Amino acid sequence: MAQGYSIFIGLVVIAALSAAAWFMSPKGENQVLWRSSLILAIVSCYLMWLITFLAQLHPLIAPKRSDLREEFLGHTI
Amino acid sequence: MAPRKDTPFRSADMSMVQLYVSNEIGREVVTALGELGLCQFRDLNEDVSAFQRTFTQEIRRLDNVERQLRYFYTQMEKAGITLRKLDLDAEKLASPSTSEIDELAERSQKLEQRISALNDSYETLKKREGDLTEWRWVLREAGSFFDRAHGNVDEIRASTDNDDAPLLSDMEQHNTAPDVERSFSGMNIGFVAGVINRDRVAAFERILWRTLRGNLYMNQSEIPEPLIDPTNNEAIQKNVFVIFAHGKEILNKIRKISESMGADVYNVDENSELRRDQIHEVNNRLEDVQNVLRNTQATLEAELNQISQSLAPWTVLIAKEKAVYSTLNLFSYDSARRTLIAEAWCPTNDMPLIRSTLQDVTNRAGLSVTSIVNEIRTNKKPPTYLKTNKFTEGFQTIVNAYGTATYQEVNPALPVIVTFPFLFAVMFGDLGHAFIMLAAALAMIYWEKSLKKVSFELFAMIFYGRYIALVMAVFSVFTGLMYNDVFSKSMTLWDSAWEYERPDNWKQGDTVTAVLNSNGNRYPFGLDWAWHGTENNLLFTNSYKMKMSIILGWAHMTYSLCFAYINARHFKKPIDIWGNFIPGMIFFQSIFGYLVVCIIYKWSVDWPAVGRNPPGLLNMLIYMFLQPGKLDERLYAGQEYVQTILLLLAFAQVPILLFLKPFYLRWENSHARARGYRGIGETSRVSALDGDDESEALVGGHGNSFDEDEGVAMISQNIDEEHEEFEFSEVMIHQIIHTIEFCLNCVSHTASYLRLWALSLAHQQLSVVLWDMTIGPCLTRPGLLGVIMIVIGFYLWFFLTIAILVCMEGTSAMLHSLRLAWVESFSKFAEFAGWPFAPFAFNTLIEESEELKNYLE
Repeated sequence: MAQGYSIFIGLVVIAALSAAAWFMSPKGENQVLWRSSLILAIVSCYLMWLITFLAQLHPLIAPKRSDLREEFLGHTI
Repeated sequence: MAPRKDTPFRSADMSMVQLYVSNEIGREVVTALGELGLCQFRDLNEDVSAFQRTFTQEIRRLDNVERQLRYFYTQMEKAGITLRKLDLDAEKLASPSTSEIDELAERSQKLEQRISALNDSYETLKKREGDLTEWRWVLREAGSFFDRAHGNVDEIRASTDNDDAPLLSDMEQHNTAPDVERSFSGMNIGFVAGVINRDRVAAFERILWRTLRGNLYMNQSEIPEPLIDPTNNEAIQKNVFVIFAHGKEILNKIRKISESMGADVYNVDENSELRRDQIHEVNNRLEDVQNVLRNTQATLEAELNQISQSLAPWTVLIAKEKAVYSTLNLFSYDSARRTLIAEAWCPTNDMPLIRSTLQDVTNRAGLSVTSIVNEIRTNKKPPTYLKTNKFTEGFQTIVNAYGTATYQEVNPALPVIVTFPFLFAVMFGDLGHAFIMLAAALAMIYWEKSLKKVSFELFAMIFYGRYIALVMAVFSVFTGLMYNDVFSKSMTLWDSAWEYERPDNWKQGDTVTAVLNSNGNRYPFGLDWAWHGTENNLLFTNSYKMKMSIILGWAHMTYSLCFAYINARHFKKPIDIWGNFIPGMIFFQSIFGYLVVCIIYKWSVDWPAVGRNPPGLLNMLIYMFLQPGKLDERLYAGQEYVQTILLLLAFAQVPILLFLKPFYLRWENSHARARGYRGIGETSRVSALDGDDESEALVGGHGNSFDEDEGVAMISQNIDEEHEEFEFSEVMIHQIIHTIEFCLNCVSHTASYLRLWALSLAHQQLSVVLWDMTIGPCLTRPGLLGVIMIVIGFYLWFFLTIAILVCMEGTSAMLHSLRLAWVESFSKFAEFAGWPFAPFAFNTLIEESEELKNYLE
């Protein structure tokens, strides 16, 4: 379960991961490749998570179904 | 400029170098450079035809050797001898010396003579064997006929005496006549015996009948076994025939007809004793011939077997040698100084390596004259050399398929390594399918060495992209978790944020709407599984995925556009920053950046709690253009002012985009001219050296030492070719096109990212349908039937999942992602005006040669 402020926690996490990727990339010819790919991947994944999370933060519609069994109702699913 | 490391970020720094190599070691130098594979030689003899070049003789000689080697190969194929293939990974071929090549040429010459001699004698022997076999058949068949016929000589004579008697009647009845030894010759009847192709028998008979008007008697029998034609090794069915007729002339006529019909006439004696001797003799000769034939074949095979052991390395060596001489032909040869002069592009950072290689070769040859490497300055555009490794190779190929990046501009493959697989994964988001793909990619990487040799084309293509597949699969795992889809089912990893409460008068089948929990807890990772299978599932996911497409597209395009800034800074063109990058960026952000901000803002507001209606963002954007300053539904306070300002800001960028760059360039040009600068070579040529001749001119102009500094300073070549005069109208038209394209593309490319939503929706729906139509219903079936149905249903579902959802859908998602990379991203920054660096390298030469494929493992 996560509250709305989780997005900032996520931001801190990816900032830390990006920093780690920046400093821990193996030195040499391909350092730029490591850095760019890792940070880009981290940011892309965060972006997608953020979008998914925000879309469900204040939903305008609620799930509706008519095939529920009786036992299912009234409980936290 | 300090030397910069070559990274995948840009193409490597290239230098044009001149090599001065003593003629004696030219071949060794080129061989060493070919092994190194870092130099792309320029053709310095463009106006010289291929036949007039210096090393044409050598190439011809090598062509001949190559032909001989090919001849051995075809002979081996004919004899069914397998070639020992060369595994270049396992064994390295040492560069041969000239004498070794000579030896090889001589040896292959001798071998060719020997093999063709053996072949010739084999063929002659084979022909003789065929003839003898036919003769034996003729003797046997004709003989048995004579044996039968001799009995009725009397009868025949009687019939000739009596005109009414039928010729040769009832022969069979007199088989056992006692006076067999009586001769036909007494009756003046001659005969012709031979062998003819069975297909021609009917025609042969008819022609004989017509030309001789029926004055003949023909007997024939089929040879039961097919005979081999030695010229083409085909089996032919033949017949033996014996024709009897009166008189010499007629017999001659028959002989001629037989020969013209392709029949072989053989000598058969009518005396049975003699015939027996003849058969005996023929059999003896046949045996002898067959013995010799066997020997010849054994020798030939032994010879070819021996060749087969070393044919592959020979072929590779000769191919290399030929390439070396073809390269040497690109050099200009100074006969007075006995030096070869070459010009080549090579990576600046590898210059020391090239120098030391050259030094090594010179030292080894023990020459006192050193080879010289001169870096020369040129205004020619250097080739684009992007170094790749196992991992980046596939991605670089994707980019190169679109075009070759301009020299030193940001390598578009660098962002593609992540963005391409990520956008693919957004369309392919399903954990189950991702794991299948991941397994396949990992397997291909784990068994890399053995799978490399598979030559099946489709597999080779997939194998080539194994690292792309790996990254795609890894991202798909992530997006699968985000979409919470495993083979169209969802996972309940965390508690849902939704709850179904029991309405007061609920009965089975009533629609229930879930209620959101009140403490603000939300599903932490990915899509809440409460949405799965609901009636309004698509309503929610469509809105979510559509907005995600827009945001991801915006992020991708903004990111790509930033490379335009980096490019402009690297090429030191500030006007590209002020005239293209900044106005473009403002234009894009004030429309689509604003849209993205609005999307996120709208998500962050709890609309029911605020008590207002959420505005439709699509309408908001449309009305922002149609009626600026007016609002349908308010998103935030002061919205109309912000929108009007943004709109004005965006439109204000259009004239800047249109006019700033061309007018600045014009001003710069006229400013420079006003100060008396001219384009080099525009009015007066600085140097008398012309294009490719400059090397000769350099050599001819004796006072010039080959000092490096001087070499750098004096060369200014091909100026007139590449210099372009400033033409305002051209620049203006180019800029107008760029502006229109950019502004329209901002809209159409953003819309184009909606394919992310469309394909992801299609993929998800397809996997739902597949589940429901195969294994889904089987799971509810009880009993034995249920078991059988589950087994069948599972296989059906599993194979269709792999075929349709992983392979087919994966390909389609890949193509869409490819387009997003090529069009939507690359158009923002990459110019693609480069030409690829294709160094002279034995490795690529051998890999790319179609002919050598047969010889390599």
